[in-house]
Amino acid sequence: MMGELIFRNLLHRPARTLIGIIAISVEVALVVLIVGLTSGLLTETAKRIEGIGADIMLQPPAASIFLGFSGSPMPIKIGDKLKDLKYVQAVAPALLQFNSTGGVEVVYGIDRDSFREVTGGFIFLSGRDMEAPDDVLVDDWAARAKNLKVGDTYNLFNNDWHVAGIVEHGKGSRGFVPIVTLQDLVGAHDKASIFFIKCTRPEHTEDVMEEMRKPENFPGYTIRPLKDLLSLMTSTNIPGLQVFIDAMIALAVSIGLLVIFLTMYTTVIERTRDIGVLKSLGANPPFIIRALLMESALLCLGGIAGGVALSYGVRAAFQAGFPTLSILITPAWVVRAGLIALLGTLVGASYPAWVASRKDVVEALTFD
Amino acid sequence: MGIAATIRAQQSGLRSAENQETRKRSVEPILKTENLWKLYHAGKVEVPALRGVNFEVQPGESVAVMGPSGCGKSSLLYVIGGLAQASRGKVLVDGNDLTEMRDSARTKLRRSKIGFVFQRFNLLPTLSAKGNIAIAQYIHGDGFDPHRFDVVTKMLGLEGRLTHKPSEMSGGEQQRVAIARAIINEPKILLADEPTGNLDTKNSEIVLEMLRRLNKDLGQTIVMITHNPEATTYFDRVVHMRDGVIVDGIPAD
Repeated sequence: MMGELIFRNLLHRPARTLIGIIAISVEVALVVLIVGLTSGLLTETAKRIEGIGADIMLQPPAASIFLGFSGSPMPIKIGDKLKDLKYVQAVAPALLQFNSTGGVEVVYGIDRDSFREVTGGFIFLSGRDMEAPDDVLVDDWAARAKNLKVGDTYNLFNNDWHVAGIVEHGKGSRGFVPIVTLQDLVGAHDKASIFFIKCTRPEHTEDVMEEMRKPENFPGYTIRPLKDLLSLMTSTNIPGLQVFIDAMIALAVSIGLLVIFLTMYTTVIERTRDIGVLKSLGANPPFIIRALLMESALLCLGGIAGGVALSYGVRAAFQAGFPTLSILITPAWVVRAGLIALLGTLVGASYPAWVASRKDVVEALTFD
Repeated sequence: MGIAATIRAQQSGLRSAENQETRKRSVEPILKTENLWKLYHAGKVEVPALRGVNFEVQPGESVAVMGPSGCGKSSLLYVIGGLAQASRGKVLVDGNDLTEMRDSARTKLRRSKIGFVFQRFNLLPTLSAKGNIAIAQYIHGDGFDPHRFDVVTKMLGLEGRLTHKPSEMSGGEQQRVAIARAIINEPKILLADEPTGNLDTKNSEIVLEMLRRLNKDLGQTIVMITHNPEATTYFDRVVHMRDGVIVDGIPAD
């Protein structure tokens, strides 16, 4: 009976119910998408770097795990010293440069031969490897997003480049240019931002890292095994990002909470007489509170379902428009967003429910 | 005894009018007020609505309370129904003193011993007629009793209207649903606040006749507030109120 009462009440004002559901849907979708966007970008970036196939990466001291953030390039001669270490099979220097034209991305300046030695080489979907100084390789996702094909001119760092090849994604970056050209372009002659190191066997990784840390080699430099990269690429490792995510979640929850508060408050005012009737029939305050909280919860469940659908819809729309954008929607965060929304809803509905339970029955019965 | 059982008993002649009369005379009043006061506060001013009302209703009795607007009729109904707290005096319902009770205890007593019928029907607009009656059973705590439900709805001629919402029913039908809701849990007392106030003459007669049948056939104790002098002919006794006090109590006929 309680279920029927709640269900009928929700259907009685379809527009108000719909607004409540939309508000909760937006709240849930915001939480899912904000978290999904950050974790998606980080995870996808980490997977791409892992996909390079190196075992170790060497960065300057105090360099960020987020490669594009690191400044102060290192002398490229470091590569020669690395090659001399025991169990080192190949070393590939890379100069990383932010490109903000047509979206934010990190372009790798690479030496094609050493990069091939470390990575095993690109898989070419079309075209060929870089030969001329102004050649650029783009991966298939970037090619689709920017509508590029072999032979096109691609403006990068305010310079026109010739698209020499389209390669399969997953080798660190979405764009590759000759390291020498990029060094000239950014004034970093004989410099590299990072070195990717391939060991003779993966189980030698620890030995090589140990050797690298020795005082006579690269003390103080940032030395990381690439297999740990995925676990390190989290929002908590970017200063301020987690705070931003938390703030956005709080904002989304506030929207949902306030809409539910207003919805239920107006519901209580509108149903003052009905509340009086229920009380005259012997309904006690817990009954009234339970009825209103359950109604809010049912509204919220509709909103959660709508929010999940909206999240997937927005992701599909974004990925159609921006193929390089990665939004990771995980069941864990869908559940978490739902619980956050439910909690916010119950908090938002608590005061109106309490007000309803405290209404004087005679005043309620004579309410117009 | 359940309504169905009561009807069966009535049909087999076990409950004669003589028996009812004997019972009315021999038992304690089901409702009794002693020096009952109800004060309302308008700012710093106390406005007395009831000024020492002494009033008794016997089990199985039907009483009409009449009086001009503002004489305290509704206040009396609210206080004896446990909807409002008395300011002074005593209200005894089936031996329970309402003035000694907290709100939660009065709510519990209301749930089990009192049924209300209001002038404006006060049905829940979102529920069907069936839902409006069943919600009273749900709140009462016994759950839905289909047998009792059938007996009551048949008695009130509601079988064909149970799926309709209040907005799809006439005033008379709505009031019959309200009566069904009020008696579905077999309350000791049925309190009616101008139940014909929003009805035309024909529907008023139907509702009053149903209240009379409830009283005569089932022995339902009824206290009804009314402005309608003709309505009083359906009741055992008429009580007149003026300025917050009862001024007389005379047999209706």
